[in-house]
Amino acid sequence: MTDGDDHGGDADDGGDADDHGDDTDDHGGRLARVRAGTEARALTALAVLTSLTLVVAFYYPTATVLVEAVVVDGAVTLGVFADVLTDPFYFGELARLLSGEPPGVVARALLSPDRRLGIVGFTAYQAVLSTVASVALGLPAAYLLARFEFPGRKTLRSLTIVPFVLPSIMVGVGFVATFGQNGTLNAALSALGLPPVDLMFTLEAVVIAHAFYNAPLVARVTTAAWESVDASAVETARSLGAGPVRAFVDVVAPQVYPAVLTGAALTFVFTFGTFPIVLALGGFELATVEVFVYRLVRDLNYAEAAALAVVELVVSLAVLLAYLRYEARNATSTRGARPLPRRSLVPPSLSPRELLPRAGLAAYGVVAAVVFLAPIASMILASVTGGDGALTLDNYRFLVERQQTGAAFQVRPWPAIRNSLAFAGAATLLALPMGVVVAVLTTRRYRGRTLVDAAAMAPLAVSGIIVGLGLLRGLVFGVEIAGWRIAAGGAVAIVVAHAVAGYPFVVRTVSPGLSGLDRSLVESARALGASRARVIRDVELPLVWPAVVAGAAFAFAISIGEFTSTVVLATGADAYTMPVAIERFIGRRLGPATAMGVVLLVVTGLSFVVIERLGGEHRGL
Amino acid sequence: MTTDESETRRRPARPHTRRRFLTAAGAAGAVALAGCSAERTGDGDEGGDESGGDGSDGSDSSDGSDGEGDGETPTLTVATYANFIDAPSVSPGEWLKEEFESRFDAELEWATPDNEVNYYVERAASGAGVDADLYVGLTTEDLVRVDEELDDDLFAERGSVDGFDDVREGLLFDPFERAVPFDTGYVSLVYDGTTAEAPETFDGLLDDEHAGALIAQNPGGSATGRAFLLHTINRFGDGGVASDGDGEAVSGEDGDPDYDYLDYWADLQANDVRVLGSWDDAYTAWSEGEAPIVVSYSTDQVFADMEGENLEEHQIRFLNDQAYANPEGMAVFADADEPDLARQFMSFVLEPDVQGEIAQRNVAFPATGTAELPSDYAELAQEPADPVTFTYDELQGSVDAWVEAWERQFAGN
Repeated sequence: MTDGDDHGGDADDGGDADDHGDDTDDHGGRLARVRAGTEARALTALAVLTSLTLVVAFYYPTATVLVEAVVVDGAVTLGVFADVLTDPFYFGELARLLSGEPPGVVARALLSPDRRLGIVGFTAYQAVLSTVASVALGLPAAYLLARFEFPGRKTLRSLTIVPFVLPSIMVGVGFVATFGQNGTLNAALSALGLPPVDLMFTLEAVVIAHAFYNAPLVARVTTAAWESVDASAVETARSLGAGPVRAFVDVVAPQVYPAVLTGAALTFVFTFGTFPIVLALGGFELATVEVFVYRLVRDLNYAEAAALAVVELVVSLAVLLAYLRYEARNATSTRGARPLPRRSLVPPSLSPRELLPRAGLAAYGVVAAVVFLAPIASMILASVTGGDGALTLDNYRFLVERQQTGAAFQVRPWPAIRNSLAFAGAATLLALPMGVVVAVLTTRRYRGRTLVDAAAMAPLAVSGIIVGLGLLRGLVFGVEIAGWRIAAGGAVAIVVAHAVAGYPFVVRTVSPGLSGLDRSLVESARALGASRARVIRDVELPLVWPAVVAGAAFAFAISIGEFTSTVVLATGADAYTMPVAIERFIGRRLGPATAMGVVLLVVTGLSFVVIERLGGEHRGL
Repeated sequence: MTTDESETRRRPARPHTRRRFLTAAGAAGAVALAGCSAERTGDGDEGGDESGGDGSDGSDSSDGSDGEGDGETPTLTVATYANFIDAPSVSPGEWLKEEFESRFDAELEWATPDNEVNYYVERAASGAGVDADLYVGLTTEDLVRVDEELDDDLFAERGSVDGFDDVREGLLFDPFERAVPFDTGYVSLVYDGTTAEAPETFDGLLDDEHAGALIAQNPGGSATGRAFLLHTINRFGDGGVASDGDGEAVSGEDGDPDYDYLDYWADLQANDVRVLGSWDDAYTAWSEGEAPIVVSYSTDQVFADMEGENLEEHQIRFLNDQAYANPEGMAVFADADEPDLARQFMSFVLEPDVQGEIAQRNVAFPATGTAELPSDYAELAQEPADPVTFTYDELQGSVDAWVEAWERQFAGN
C-alpha cells in the first residue's frame, strides 16, 4: 500500500470526471446521476471560487507591489535585484559569489572566523535555530497530548494554540517581566541560590520567543497526525513480533514525520518573516529582512522593498516546496479508523519502561512552565498591577469606562471582541472549503503541480507588510474599469483577507491525511456511484476529521491575531478587532493594553475550547 | 464583482440550506460580492465615497442618513495619526471635534489611516483621489518624503489663516508655506533618578559608568529613534555620507571634522547601547528596569504626575542642554472638497484657548506664543535651553542616506 496516486483518471480535476468516469457509473440511477452531476459541478465551482478569491484578495494586490521590484519609473529593469543580490550587507559572502568572484575565494571567506552572513543569511540562521527550538519544545507536548489521558486533556489541547494569537507587544511585556534582569526567572533562580541569567536583548531571547509562538503550532499539527494513527496497524506489527520501539519506528513515526515537518516548515517560514518581536527582545543588531522591508516601505522606497520581499518569498517558498516534495514522496496509507488507546499519566507500575517517559514529561513540564506559562502569567499580572506596583483593577475599569464613554471614532472593547469573533468565525467558514478544495487538488499528481502548490502556499510566504500595502492599492483604492472605480473595504473584505491568510493552514493540516488515505476506499465509493464531491464529504473528510478541526482552529487563530490587513481594510472604528484595540490602548502605562490583552487571551482560549468541542461531536465513522 | 453598490450592499447572508461544506462555498461567493463599492470616475464627483480603508467614521456613524442634498451641514474630514484621537490617557480629538462643531456650522469627521501621510501619497499616486480635507500631524520629514515621491502637489498653499503671525518663528518648517505648525515636542533622555544619574553630555554617555545604561529606538521605525539619530548628526556631523561624492558634509557642533555620528554610534555600541524597535518596546524595557535611561519625550513627567508616580523615577535630561525638536503641522489637501472650511479649522486651532487645550491633551507644547496654558504647565513639561532641528532643506536628499548608513554600520551581520 504505497501512495496509490497512480490511478489515472481518478477525478484529478475534480469537476468533469463523472462525464467520462468508470464504466460502473452505468449502474447508478438516473436521479443519482443528476445529483452526482450537480455535486461534481459544485466541486469545480468551489475550485473556481477559491481561485477567484485568491486572485482578488491576494495575487492581484500583492502583485501591484512586487512588480515595483522590476518596473522602475515605467521601465523594466533587473538592476534593483542585481544591487540587492550583490550587496554584502544583505547577502554577506554570498554576495561576492553573485557578483562574480571565484567560488573558491568565497568558500574560504565563508570558513573564516570573520565571515559575514548578511541580513538574509542571518535571518535564515535565526529561523533555523527557532525552528529547532520550536520542534524540540513542541514534540513532547504532542506526545503528551496524543498518547496520554488525564483530566483536562482536551481543554489543554485546545488552549495550546493560544500563544499563537498574542500580539508581539503582549509577548514583549510577558518576556521582559519573565526573563528580564528583575524578572520572575531570576527571582526563582536567586531563591534557589543560583546565579542570575541575562537573557534579554540576545539571540536566545528571540529564539525562545519564536518557540513560544511556534512550538504550539508544531504540537498541534503533530498531535492531530498522531491521533489519526490507526491502532490496528500497530497491533498488527506487534502481533508479528515487533517490539514497541520497532512498532513506533516502523508504523507510528512514518505517519507522524510529515506533520512534524509541516510544523517545522511553517515555523521556518514564519520566523524567516519575523518582525516586531526581534527588535523588541533582541535589538537592532539582530535585525531581519522584514525590518528593512518595513523601513523601505515607510520611506516609500518601493523598488528595494519589493526586491527584498521577493527574496523573502523565494526563500520561504523554496523551503515549503522542498517540504511538499518530501510529503508527496512519503505519503503513507492509512484508514485511520481507530486511534491508539491513550495511557494514563499515573504509571500503572513502577517499571523503568513506564516511569521513564513520564519522568521525561515531568521535566518537560518544568521547561514548558518557564517558556509558556510564566510569560502569560506575567502578562496577566501586569494587567492587574498599577503604576505604584500594588494590585488593582483600574486597567479593567479603564476598559469598562472606554466602552461607556468612548467616542464613536475611538476603539471600544466590546465591538472589538464582537468583531474579532465574527470575523474569525466567518473567515474560518470561508477558509475551510477553500483549504479542502486546494488540498484535494494538490494531493493528486499531475504536471505543474509544484506550481499549484507554490501558488496555494504563497499567502504564507509573502511579507505581511507587502500584503497590507497591496490590499490598500488593490482593494481599498480598487481598480478602474470602464470609467468605474471598483473598490472593496470593510468587514467583508477583512473576512476574505483573513480567510486567504488562514486557508493554507487548512491545506497543510488536511493534505497529508488526504494523500495518505487508502485509495481503495475512494475507489469503492466512486464505483458505487458517489460523485467526487460526495466522496470527499462522506468518506475522506470524516477520516481526516482531526486534521480538519486543527486546520479550522488555525484559520480561526490567524484571523484573531491578524493586524495589518484589518487596519488597512477597516472603514471605521467599529470594524476594529481586539489586536487593534490592544495597539490603541498602548500608552506610556502598559496597564490598559495588557488588560485588553488578557481579554483577548480569555476570549480566544474559550473559542478554541468551543471549536474543538463542536469539532469533536462530528467526529466521523 | 458588481458595479451596483445599492443592490449588493445590504444583501443579507444567505441562509444555510445545503450541507455545510457546499454552503460555505456559496457563502464565499456571496461574501466576495457584498463588500464591493463602485464609483464613477473622471467626472469630478468625488463626494459620495463611503468606502476606503482610511479609518474614517463614514458609513458607520450613528446618524443613519447619508443624504447628500444641498444646504446640509458641510462635513470637514480631518486626517491625522491614531493617537491624536485615541489614546488610553488623553488625546485632543474628541474635545476638538465638539468645540469645532459648537463654533462652526459644520461636522468634523476624523480619518486615521494606518499608513498616516503615506496613505494619501498612495491614494494620490494611484489616481484614487484624496478623500480628506486636511492633514493634522505633518513633520518636516513627511513633507520631504511627500515632495520627493509626488510630482503634483499633495498639499495646497497655506492661504489666509488667522493667528498665523502668532506662530513662534523657530517652528516654521515648511519653506513652501503649506504646513502651519500647531504644536511641538522635544525628544530627550528620561532616566530613573533613583538608580542612576544621566550624563550631561553626549560624550558622557560613552563613560564606563553608563555602559548598557541607554535604550534607544530604531531610527527606521520610530519617531523618537529618528529624532535621537538626527540629534547625534547635528552634534557630530554626518561625515559626508549623504554627499554623493561632492565632498559636501554636514559639520557637527562638536567642531571635530574627523569624528562623525557614525563614529559616535560605534562608540555607543561599544558601550552597550540598546536599540529596540519602537518607543513602546523601549519604554517597556526601561519601565521594567532593564536599563536606567531611555530616549523619550521631555513631557514624561506630565504623564507620571497624571498617574501619581514618583517623579524622581522620571527625570529629564537635555544632553548638552539641547533636545531635538519635532514641530507638527497641518496642511490643506490640494484636492480638498472644503478648502475654506479647512482653513477656518486651521485658524480655530491657532486660537489661544485651543492651542492650550491641544498642548495639554496631546501632552506637547503650543506652536503660538499666545497660547493659554495653566501657569504650572512648564513645571512638568520641560523645554530645553537650546532646541535643535534640521530644516527641510537639510533633510532633503540626506535623511535616507543618514539612516541607511547608520543601519549598515549598526546591524552589519
